Amino acid sequence: MRAVILDGIVLGLAFGMLGVGMTLVYGLGGVLNLAYGQIVVLGAIVTSLVMDEGVSTFLAAVVGVLAATGVAVLLDLTLMRPVYRQHGEERTLMGLLLTLGVAFVIGGLLTWRYPVGSLYINISGDPISIIGVPMTVGSVWASVITLAVAAALLLFFGLTTFGRGVRSVIQDETGARLVGINPSFVRTVIFALSGALAGIVAITQAMNAPLTVTAGFELTTFALIVTVVGGLGSVAGAFLAGVLLGVVNTLSAHYIGQYITTVILLGAAALTILIRPRGLLGR
Amino acid sequence: MGLGAVARSKVSRTLVPIAVTAAILAILPSVWFGDSPYTTGLAVQALVFACYGVGFNLIFGSTNQLFLCVGALAGVGGYGAAIFADRASQPIWLGIAVGTASAAIVGGLLSWIAVRRSLGIIFTGIVTLVFSLAFTNLLLGQRDLTGSETGLVLPDAADRLADDRVGGYYFFTGLLVVLLIVFRVLQLSHIGWAFRALRDDEVAAELAGVDVARYRVYAATVGSAMIGLTGALYAYSAGFISPATYGFEFVDVRVLVLVAFGGLGALLGPVIGAGVFAVLDERLTTSLQLREVFYGVFVIAIFLFFRRGVVQTVVDLAARLGRRPGKGSRGEPPLQGESLRP
Repeated sequence: MRAVILDGIVLGLAFGMLGVGMTLVYGLGGVLNLAYGQIVVLGAIVTSLVMDEGVSTFLAAVVGVLAATGVAVLLDLTLMRPVYRQHGEERTLMGLLLTLGVAFVIGGLLTWRYPVGSLYINISGDPISIIGVPMTVGSVWASVITLAVAAALLLFFGLTTFGRGVRSVIQDETGARLVGINPSFVRTVIFALSGALAGIVAITQAMNAPLTVTAGFELTTFALIVTVVGGLGSVAGAFLAGVLLGVVNTLSAHYIGQYITTVILLGAAALTILIRPRGLLGR
Repeated sequence: MGLGAVARSKVSRTLVPIAVTAAILAILPSVWFGDSPYTTGLAVQALVFACYGVGFNLIFGSTNQLFLCVGALAGVGGYGAAIFADRASQPIWLGIAVGTASAAIVGGLLSWIAVRRSLGIIFTGIVTLVFSLAFTNLLLGQRDLTGSETGLVLPDAADRLADDRVGGYYFFTGLLVVLLIVFRVLQLSHIGWAFRALRDDEVAAELAGVDVARYRVYAATVGSAMIGLTGALYAYSAGFISPATYGFEFVDVRVLVLVAFGGLGALLGPVIGAGVFAVLDERLTTSLQLREVFYGVFVIAIFLFFRRGVVQTVVDLAARLGRRPGKGSRGEPPLQGESLRP
């Protein structure tokens, strides 16, 4: 039981990490980035290619994260510009459809060029015992990185001036503009941050299990579920939702069965939308 | 314009585009692809997607409900028909009726929930997407009933519905024409006025006394019935179904692309889109992955540059070039393919 819950928390941190990059971009400009999973995969493939060149894993991971960041910034500077000229639902719809197109382009190119590409970061070592449950070194590392990133994000948005500026744009774009904040610049920064988070997700996921080139759609789906349940735009909500869903996932996989688990997760997401459309911690 | 002229133009507008489409589709096999089983198979596929497209067009194009569960609704129709006819040993037509009704109920229910909770386009999209994924998982999980990923073989199905490929082609052409007529009749009735009003400005429509919620549920129910019927008939014409037949990646993405290509809300949009993409597919069979890239580029291009559909944009452009510049292009308002939201 303890092991199942701990497994769930580890998985949940991974879910939360996946959701946070998507929730930030949505919160800021109302764009649901459906290419998010493909950007994660891109980071993973770049990392694995660099690792194949014999570069150290850490350096390769940095290159992978930078690549994901670069693609995200490129996306913001090109395709997202006409999207942000729209308003309200129109903007969301256009963003949704354009990023869906981007997802196909990135996913298709990657699977075409590297049909069997995958990233697995094998961290050797004896299992580490946490409250009496042995955990693999890879999952401990992944969780530690995730917790550090979560803390850094919360501090960034809570304490720094720029972080508060970002939150002001989330709350009221016109108001932020009036007090001298440039929403377009803030959005570019957040897109870059979201890309970097996608790159880090690639690394932490690959520490647990191989991340294959075709995983993009599934990653996007989970990110979407976490984002919705956590509340669009809420960093803490994404992690909370991630951990909750992770625990639900392992519990139901353990006690009920694997296939019904996905249905339960999807049901949880649907119920959240219906009962509390703002999500757990949404405004 | 006199009353008689209005009535005449209404009739001609109702029938002429559909009649022309039917005529073109009817002579297509003899003038183009003959009885080549491969090409006919592709053509049947295109017709099926055009039928899905008409249903989706009614739901999304007419009433702005982003239903990302076209594949799942078709699957409700297909699996519903197959399982009911097989388990309850009922005739095929009854199975198809049950499948269609189930799809209509599910679609109507989804719409009712979305309307009741006043979910916007995005949340409707997410809820229906979640429904799609859950449905696929259920299909995979209920092994005894659905055969999981190995799929279901529908015994003695193919020879009852369509004895050969060309027969299947004409069968689905007939279905498409019927669906187009239903779509057209709805468009021209008072329901169509309500659709246009609520699509252009929901609040204004509500204030003008249009019961937005009710018309949305109507559109979703009828559209879902169309999709479910197509899915059920396709199951019996193919003789085999699997979760992939109705998968999100396979059905929804393509339907969205081809309807957007033809123009959201335009009567013949899905037909033109399906036709163009069938030809493209045939040319692009070299690599599945590159085809995906191509689709992506298409989606991006459509939504960046041709918001009202490629067809309508080209027509407008031609009309503008045809008229002298400066004379004003304020003719009759375009009947079909009005912009997504002006």
